[in-house]
Amino acid sequence: MNSNTPSSSAGRAGSADSAAPRRNSKRPKYSKFTQQELPACKPILTPRWAISAFMLVSIVFIPIGVVSLFASRDVVEIIDRYENVCVPESFRNDKVTYIQSDVDKICNRTLRVKKLMKQPIYVYYQLDNFYQNHRRYVKSRSDSQLKNNNSQDDVDSCKPEDNTADGMPIVPCGLIAWSLFNDTFNFSLNNQQLAVNKKGISWKSDRDSKFGKNVFPKNFQNGSFIGGKHLNSSVPLSEQEDLIVWMRTAALPTFRKLYGKIERDLQPNELIQVTLENNYNTYSFNGKKKLVLSTTSWLGGKNDFLGIAYLTVGGLCFFLALSFTVVYLVKPRRLGDPSYLSWNRNPGGH
Amino acid sequence: MKRYVYINDDESLQELYCDNQISNRKYTVLNFLPKNLWEQFSRFMNQYFLLIACLQLWSLITPVNPASTWGPLIFIFAVSASKEAWDDYNRYLSDKKANEKEVWVVRQGIKKHVQAQDIHVGNIVWLRENDEVPCDLVLIGTSDPQGLCYVETAALDGETDLKTRVIPSACMGIDFELLHKIKGVIECPNPDKDIRRFDANLRLFPPFIDNDVCPLTIKNTILQSCYLRNTEWACGVAVYTGNETKLGMSRGIPEPKLTAMDAMIDKLTGAIFVFQIVVVMVLGIAGNVWKDTEARKQWYVLYPYEGPWYELLVIPLRFELLCSIMIPISIKVSLDLVKSLYAKFIDWDNEMIDQETGIPSHAANTAISEDLGQVEYILTDKTGTLTENRMIFRRCCISGIFYGNESGDALKDVELLNAVAGSSPDVVRFLTVMAICNTVIPVKSKTGAILYKAQSQDEDALVNAAARLHVVYVNKNANILEIRFNGSVIQYEVLETLEFTSDRKRMSVVVKDCQNGKIILLSKGADEAILPYAYAGQQTRTFIEAVEQYAQLGLRTLCLAWRELKEDEYQEWSLMFKEASSTLVDREWRIAEVCQRLEHDFEILGVTAIEDRLQDGVPETIETLRKAGINFWMLTGDKQNTAIQIALSCNFISPEPKGQLLLIDGKTEDEVCRSLERVLLTMRITSSEPKDVAFVVDGWALEIALKHYRKAFTELAILSRTAICCRVTPSQKAQLVELLKSCDYRTLAIGDGGNDVRMIQQADIGVGISGREGLQAARAADYSIGKFRFLKRLILVHGRYSYNRTAFLSQYSFYKSLVICFIQIFFSFISGVSGTSLFNSVSLMAYNVFYTSVPVLVSVLDKDLSEGTIMQHPKILFYCQAGRLLNPSTFAGWFGRSLFHAIVVFVITIHAYAYEKSEMEELSMVALSGCIWLQAFVVALETNSFTILQHLAIWGNLVAFYVINWIFSAVPSSGMYTIMFRLCRQPSYWITMFLIVAAGMGPVLALKYFRYTYRPSKINTLQQAERMGGPILSLGNIEPQPRSVEKEVSPLSITQPKNRNPVYEPLLSDSPNTTRRSFGSGTPFDFFQSQSRLSSSYSRNCKDN
Repeated sequence: MNSNTPSSSAGRAGSADSAAPRRNSKRPKYSKFTQQELPACKPILTPRWAISAFMLVSIVFIPIGVVSLFASRDVVEIIDRYENVCVPESFRNDKVTYIQSDVDKICNRTLRVKKLMKQPIYVYYQLDNFYQNHRRYVKSRSDSQLKNNNSQDDVDSCKPEDNTADGMPIVPCGLIAWSLFNDTFNFSLNNQQLAVNKKGISWKSDRDSKFGKNVFPKNFQNGSFIGGKHLNSSVPLSEQEDLIVWMRTAALPTFRKLYGKIERDLQPNELIQVTLENNYNTYSFNGKKKLVLSTTSWLGGKNDFLGIAYLTVGGLCFFLALSFTVVYLVKPRRLGDPSYLSWNRNPGGH
Repeated sequence: MKRYVYINDDESLQELYCDNQISNRKYTVLNFLPKNLWEQFSRFMNQYFLLIACLQLWSLITPVNPASTWGPLIFIFAVSASKEAWDDYNRYLSDKKANEKEVWVVRQGIKKHVQAQDIHVGNIVWLRENDEVPCDLVLIGTSDPQGLCYVETAALDGETDLKTRVIPSACMGIDFELLHKIKGVIECPNPDKDIRRFDANLRLFPPFIDNDVCPLTIKNTILQSCYLRNTEWACGVAVYTGNETKLGMSRGIPEPKLTAMDAMIDKLTGAIFVFQIVVVMVLGIAGNVWKDTEARKQWYVLYPYEGPWYELLVIPLRFELLCSIMIPISIKVSLDLVKSLYAKFIDWDNEMIDQETGIPSHAANTAISEDLGQVEYILTDKTGTLTENRMIFRRCCISGIFYGNESGDALKDVELLNAVAGSSPDVVRFLTVMAICNTVIPVKSKTGAILYKAQSQDEDALVNAAARLHVVYVNKNANILEIRFNGSVIQYEVLETLEFTSDRKRMSVVVKDCQNGKIILLSKGADEAILPYAYAGQQTRTFIEAVEQYAQLGLRTLCLAWRELKEDEYQEWSLMFKEASSTLVDREWRIAEVCQRLEHDFEILGVTAIEDRLQDGVPETIETLRKAGINFWMLTGDKQNTAIQIALSCNFISPEPKGQLLLIDGKTEDEVCRSLERVLLTMRITSSEPKDVAFVVDGWALEIALKHYRKAFTELAILSRTAICCRVTPSQKAQLVELLKSCDYRTLAIGDGGNDVRMIQQADIGVGISGREGLQAARAADYSIGKFRFLKRLILVHGRYSYNRTAFLSQYSFYKSLVICFIQIFFSFISGVSGTSLFNSVSLMAYNVFYTSVPVLVSVLDKDLSEGTIMQHPKILFYCQAGRLLNPSTFAGWFGRSLFHAIVVFVITIHAYAYEKSEMEELSMVALSGCIWLQAFVVALETNSFTILQHLAIWGNLVAFYVINWIFSAVPSSGMYTIMFRLCRQPSYWITMFLIVAAGMGPVLALKYFRYTYRPSKINTLQQAERMGGPILSLGNIEPQPRSVEKEVSPLSITQPKNRNPVYEPLLSDSPNTTRRSFGSGTPFDFFQSQSRLSSSYSRNCKDN
């Protein structure tokens, strides 16, 4: 009887949602998707699966690691750190003054080839502790200016190297171009000039579509504080390959930039005379400078990391697979054993 | 407080009240943008993103292109704004349709066709058959000579039967033509939303009869959105118009419900925000220190020595922007998307379609599906929810003689049939009351059969039963009722109807026998509302016994009574009644008081017993859900015995000795207090025993308990897994929900009738059964289902899956954002703590909104366990209830994983791509692809079931990543020009990728394998069993099911056949005095307490089996 008349207030009853009665006719259509019954494969982590997965990884990884390591070991590399030795004894205590002075910076180095180096041999300069990825630095460039002669004035992003003191736009503008590396290297072998090919050291895509063929350096390094290398203002930017290489900023504070290519083989124990001009200032921030001559492999330069990492991961996986197997054999565990369900155990077992 | 409506007065009122323009719109064209933006920005997340986006406009500090934040932000805002706009436009269209509908209205004494929106208060509106009522009207004339008309109120309250409406007595007999010119005043209250009340007065001006005040009730009105049926025409005075109608006032935007999961996600977001601030501060300080010490030496950076005043802020703000991706902007969109899909799955579910009516289940609230999986308490109504609400007259007791006890069906009882055939006066009187003491309307169908339109299922059952016993209620013509008995027609004139209210618990009619002019009062009602008012000297003992016996069978009882009135007694009372019913203040109470004066000295005729059958599958559903650790409370308006019987028959409580019922009763504070304490003591003692202890409380004691002993009662509520509350009012139901909610329990309220609406709205989740009591509950509810048994599937399947999926999706969203953010942070240490972004804007944006969002979205199809397994092992729901899959510790796991993966990606990348390969764009792309590869494998590892869609999304996304980047790499002006082509040609790139995947996933896989095999969670064990077809799948079948055996025994002997009192005194046993949980030990430990409570209730649950 109590339910005769619901005595509560109508509440939301009257919210006039006329869809409700209409819904009756609209029976949902059956499909496997709507019923959440799509055929599914439900893999579970059985010991067999887990152990064979780890085994497989170790089987694949260890050979790859070995191959990578060999590839890296095949690369012959000559590294010569010169930023200290190229400072005359008298300036050893005040290198910054030295580098900023007008003293002759010529420095001679001799490199010995330890193993046969097959051509092409890449000549890199390596800088340490140089933050090309500093936010202030990395943003200070104008891509449109580099590419297009008409957008010379597009220097907003280049601060503080945007305009000269008298307001003329600098081409190429920005800190990156301004601080262009300016050490030079000359190689000779047995008193003969060793040709270093400086063509094609930059990315082709950069030459073709990032740096304009009709854009010429203008007002570059005209300020009071000279950053780095001067550019020949009669050569278009697309052919200034040192600049193009330099403008591909490095993501790490230690990096190598391609200087050129030696296109002949070097025999073991050959001595290479390097005459270098030590112009670039890394002394104020204790940066190292290195000259690197390196061959290359299918994996790139000399870098043991991948090989070692592969061996480590492969080894660990092998170890894991092995120990899982041992544990599985010593202490087998039936999967899906109902006795593991707490409600099938004794009370209080939960 | 009152409004005076002058009928047909064309001038005076037009300005005073609004016109009949209906507006459901939230916005106008002009205020849409500001209002919508304001609403969206009132959310913290959005404010945060807006702040970040604004900061990014400052080019000095922005690490990436502002578009990477503005793009997604504008996209997200545009999506939700256009959704709102679309909804609002549809509302506008439906409003417009209603507003421009043509209606007949009297203007300057002439009937005119005007648009519905031009109706003013005081206008006379004419309606024809099947017209929709445009505004709230007071009837003044109908085509029926008696002034009756019929309306269908389905749109208003969901009740599909026809209701009678009648013109006020003052308007009776006014000529059709004169209705145009009628003048008068209606004094009515200000608009409210109560659709069952209209306390007003009408006074007609001369020349229309006297200027007596004529009372008006809801019976004299027809409300907006009703339909006029079976009546040629009707006309009425508009009293409430536009948005001020009863319907308009009751319209309202319900409070948005927040799931426990949303709250947890918000909490975690807050934690990440704090972490982000800490990171920003540390990096900001480190950056400034580095700048002052190192950067000055880096001449090529050209740091100026004098910076602007904000110099110190620049680096921290840069890091803030860099770290802003820690809080994923996509999580909101992803969650909204998957939630609406969860709701769709509920709508689409074929197994939750009511086969009888073809009504599918419906999720009206698309945002709270996860909560279904975390339900801890279910509060259920009885009638119509557990039972079918299909009343069948089964037994009766007339003048001390029991009919129908043997056959279980009184209609087939030969004795009763004989008594009817012999016109035994007692039986005939009994049947007459059954037939006419009601508000049923008989309708003759075309075939000549009589159909009854009843508002109450009980009345319907009684009238039909009377008809089967040859007392046929044939016709109702105005006030004249006709019944046919043994071939002769008897007419009664209805003088008054004393309506049912839940306070009075009875209804009566006063009729005049047209043959002999006798005036008779006929009553029916609950036993306690009838039996005490028997005339002195009548033996009511047999009736009390009958009531109890029937109640123990779970039958609904009604007592029927009558009394002959003397002419003058009636006249005197009639005046009082008329006066009472025309009062404006406290009318209901006054009427009840007046009715009381007539309803006494009854001659009790007998007791009827009506059966309300249990719905299919109710016991199984309750048993399954209780195994799942959900506590059940039954809240019913029915009487205690009936409630207990129903509870027994649907596994709600167990019979002795397994179960124990504790009764809280008492009429005074002291009694209630004592019984409450006694119950509490027993409850504490027995809580360690494997026993189903339930308490029973009735409405009266409940009110005292809630008012004075709230704390004790709360403790009881926490201790008890089962409760039966009988004789409770709708507001008490809502109070109980509130009580449980205040203890931090997730509550689900399920009901079917208007009396459950408040409880449904109050609960965390409201489920309505679209049953026979109309659609009120279903409309107010978040979910509407056709049958109670669908609740099992709703909770165990949909709720659980939703919870699992959202748990994965939300944590994964944070994980992937954190990975990329950690890489950025690590990179800042090798870029001079200057806030350089390793990744470019395009990659960052695409990473968040595309590469990592798409694969995870298909996790809406993931099923860890099959539906069958869950149904067999409902206890697995415990993981959801206790929030085992999304809580600070699981989140810490994901946090650790993101840190680990970031380290793996970063370390491998910078070492593999060192020296001559350390070009910025290449390195960033290597790191990004490393992340994408890891994400694909993480999603794959966390996916339990792969459908074709999952494979497509996970591996297709990986392919899409390369395709998209190849496209970008082909655009000369983009920073990524040729990068991806170069990388894909390098063997070292691919070798690096494999290394990242193996190093990143190896430990994760090993850990997962170890846990899975040696520390399996219950879910894992079931998964293993399910896939391997182990013995566990048959376990469900061998579980003892003693209850099903008992059910087959005849209901009379379920329990306590001898003992009248169904409530056992607590057995003070010798069990150890362990209090499981002392109440009130402080809220700070609430989290742990609820954990322990769950686990203990869980283990208690285990012991049952």
